[in-house]
Amino acid sequence: MSELVNVVKPAVRYEFLAVAANWLRRHHVINFVLLALGAVIMVGPFLWMLGTSFKTPQETASFPPTIWPVNPTLENYVEVVDRLDLVRMYFNTAGVALIKTVLMVYTGSLLGYVFAKFHFRGKNLIFYGFLSTMIIPFEVYMIPLYLMIVDAKLGNTYTALIIPSIFSAYAIFVFRQFMFAIPNELIDAARVDGAGEFHIFHRIILPLSKPILATMTSFYFMWEWNDFLWPLIVITDPNKYLLPVGLASLVGENRTDFGVTTAAASIAILPVLVIFLFMQRHVIQSVAMTGMK
Amino acid sequence: MGALGRCTHQLRHGLVKAFAMTQVNTLNPVRGNRRNRSSVRRGQLKFVAFCIIPAVAFFLVFRFYPVGQAFWMSLHDWRLIGSNRTFVGTQNYQEILTDPLFRKILQNTLYFAAATSIGLTISALAVAILLNPIRRGSTIFQLVYFLPVMTSTIAISTIWLWLYQPQFGLINQLLRAINMPPGTWLTSPSTAMPSIILMSVWGGLGFYVIIFLAGLRNIPAMYYEAAAIDGASRYQAIRYITIPLLRPVITFVLVTSVIGSFNVFQQVYLMTGGGPLNSTRVLALHIYNTAFRNLEIGKAASMAFVMFAVVLALTLLQMWLRKADNDT
Repeated sequence: MSELVNVVKPAVRYEFLAVAANWLRRHHVINFVLLALGAVIMVGPFLWMLGTSFKTPQETASFPPTIWPVNPTLENYVEVVDRLDLVRMYFNTAGVALIKTVLMVYTGSLLGYVFAKFHFRGKNLIFYGFLSTMIIPFEVYMIPLYLMIVDAKLGNTYTALIIPSIFSAYAIFVFRQFMFAIPNELIDAARVDGAGEFHIFHRIILPLSKPILATMTSFYFMWEWNDFLWPLIVITDPNKYLLPVGLASLVGENRTDFGVTTAAASIAILPVLVIFLFMQRHVIQSVAMTGMK
Repeated sequence: MGALGRCTHQLRHGLVKAFAMTQVNTLNPVRGNRRNRSSVRRGQLKFVAFCIIPAVAFFLVFRFYPVGQAFWMSLHDWRLIGSNRTFVGTQNYQEILTDPLFRKILQNTLYFAAATSIGLTISALAVAILLNPIRRGSTIFQLVYFLPVMTSTIAISTIWLWLYQPQFGLINQLLRAINMPPGTWLTSPSTAMPSIILMSVWGGLGFYVIIFLAGLRNIPAMYYEAAAIDGASRYQAIRYITIPLLRPVITFVLVTSVIGSFNVFQQVYLMTGGGPLNSTRVLALHIYNTAFRNLEIGKAASMAFVMFAVVLALTLLQMWLRKADNDT
């Protein structure tokens, strides 16, 4: 009898382990742990940056390093706001980004609708012609574009930032893809009722496209907010710098003052963070679409 | 696509009714009878012309013409300031292609593009495979991983400049805390480019995780179930089902990230400026410096066309690969 107990007890122990292991596997605990580790790596540098921005220069250089400052201070932020005319830079960047975004999304949706729902001679040629511009690296046409801007006496203006971005081939492509799904009967019915084409676009097509409009707007705004190279080339007056360029010049001048640079970076990423938190569903949707062509 | 379908379903009934109401006030009912087929068609064509013509003009003026002018520039010794412009034919191209510095720049750029692309593909695929089975909290993870992607590259470069600081940066501090030797990161020619590659992979990961996740979700669960019945382990399932079925997405991600990495600029501009010892000097940075610091825009244009040639070749490769995928 005792031999049986000696056999059953270990068997029960192994049985418990097997049940536990099964629970772990079914709830994907290992996945979760690994992903959480990765998440720490993703978010960690941001927290470190935020913490450093509130540190005094002495504490910045302390060992062992502290994540959160023992004596938090706002002196870095005061210096940043002093150095850069931050409020104006925010407004400038937001304004330019907004105008560009609205232009590209509106023209993209309009042309996407035209390419999706209309038939005319040369349609495919023109469409693929537009698409082919996506292959051209910006570096190729940025120099002649700059010469054009200077010749037109538009150097150092925001107009020069906006005009080369009125249309976007990518936006046209994406909107065309989605406009295919709009039922033709709806449009034909409106035509039969005597509606004009612009009426149809603004009163029917656009309201139907709200999800994709929201997605593309948040995506493009984020992209335009972070635009760097063209604003770097065009805007030469530090008072008119856009945020990424302003941040770069600040870091360039203060390479060793990490309290100041991290404070500036924290301020710079704040708006995109906020917008993203509100629009995250749409942004992720837009990215997922990219891979499903 | 699904959201749009839902939208049209929901709105179709109410919309036609609502639309009819708006028409009552805006249209003379008699006019509705007078519009025949050909006038509707003419209205359509006017609309199309109104939309298309400005767009065509835009792309001609702001894309095609500048490219042509850039090519014309590349055949001249052209300065940004002043009006001297001498036609030199292919001299610019000959000079840069025989210049050892330019060769090094091309090498650096290709190294960066290839390493970043491979790093991104492997790590994003791994994260996506880990993330796929998780239902609750999946969006939160996608958001967290996407955070660096939506942050301005300049801001990220600022953060990593601080992380990589040899004395007080977090990475070396952590290494010292566990008794490991601190790294030289951006200060040494041998580790500078890998450091930039590492932060670029970190900064781009979330984007491709989302793409891979979408691709993974498209694989029918049926295949995995069949494999489980046949007694396959998880690793076997990944090796024989997931990866082969994901091959189009994998090639898409690989080639797209190579093309996207080719004009890397902001990180290098901020963090190393091309050094130390030209180990991080990349093509886009060199074009910018040549054009706007040295004011030699003829030469810069020729470099840009070399870049264009490589990007074009990669794009054609991608199109060819997609065709091969679609045909199998």
